[in-house]
Amino acid sequence: MNYFNQGFRSVLPIISGIIPFGAVMGSAFSEAQLSFFQALLMNTTVYAGAAQLATVELMKMNAAVFVVLATGLIINMRFLLYSAAMSPYLKDASPLIKFLCAFTLTDQSYAAMTANQDKFHTNTEATHFYLGTAACMMLTWHASVMAGFIFGNFAPASLNLDFAIPLSFVALLVPTMKRRGHQVVAIFSALASLVFYGLPLRTGLIVTSLLSTGLSWMIIQMRRKT
Amino acid sequence: MIDKNYFLLNVAGLVIGTVFIRGFFIALSSKMNISIKVKELFTFIPAAIFPALIMPATFFHQGAVEVLGGKERFCVLMLAAVACFFIRSTLFVIGFGLALLFMISKIS
Repeated sequence: MNYFNQGFRSVLPIISGIIPFGAVMGSAFSEAQLSFFQALLMNTTVYAGAAQLATVELMKMNAAVFVVLATGLIINMRFLLYSAAMSPYLKDASPLIKFLCAFTLTDQSYAAMTANQDKFHTNTEATHFYLGTAACMMLTWHASVMAGFIFGNFAPASLNLDFAIPLSFVALLVPTMKRRGHQVVAIFSALASLVFYGLPLRTGLIVTSLLSTGLSWMIIQMRRKT
Repeated sequence: MIDKNYFLLNVAGLVIGTVFIRGFFIALSSKMNISIKVKELFTFIPAAIFPALIMPATFFHQGAVEVLGGKERFCVLMLAAVACFFIRSTLFVIGFGLALLFMISKIS
């Protein structure tokens, strides 16, 4: 089986969490009285669920452009770290492949990629696998958002399907925690995210990510010395 | 009703900013020499970010199961994490977590 297909299949279990999130996003577009074209435009070009949800709410309140942009981009700032982590795999890729990989970078596709990184022998295999995950994510996300826009939030609340998103992150995180250092950083990140949750503009996520990355760097330095 | 020009201005800003953020290091990848230490640092990124995405969403979620203080999602997530150490299947973890949460909600 080729790596694109493997990547595509690796994300299939996760889509149970993406569909309800997409439906919520679609119904938020609808409640904001955006046209189908506007919803489609924002969804296909920004392609970042959490940022879209937050910024549509702000636009509904007619918030200043600076506030809307700052909120959306701060939420998306974690992609900078994913982009850095993806860069070694894409060193020799064509500009088109680099653009496609960058444009389709999401939490889930990056997580699926890292959870399976031991399977790749070359950067090309890794890239094909990643593009498979990205294709599955894009198809699912756009279809569920547009369905949510047309039919409203169709996911039954009693099934708690939105909870599948944190569960899928747990399932994708655990295989990457190979050493004690990774576990220490994960526990630190979990606790810090609770402490910094109340920070404005959702900067808690960025503060936690930076502190956790700093701790990771310290662990690496200590490991090198011993 | 959101003004069309206001909407387009915001979307354009978000697109430019997000593409820049997502593509910054990828675009520079062929020009950068990444040291072994930095490559090792990249292995920590999931541990540094994913718990920060997961924890607030579950810990601060107020549920309806009184026995667990409304924190049934947090409890289920912890159990799912433990289960994941033994059975490394995404489908299993999601199915296990959703089924357990459904049962807890129905029993209470």
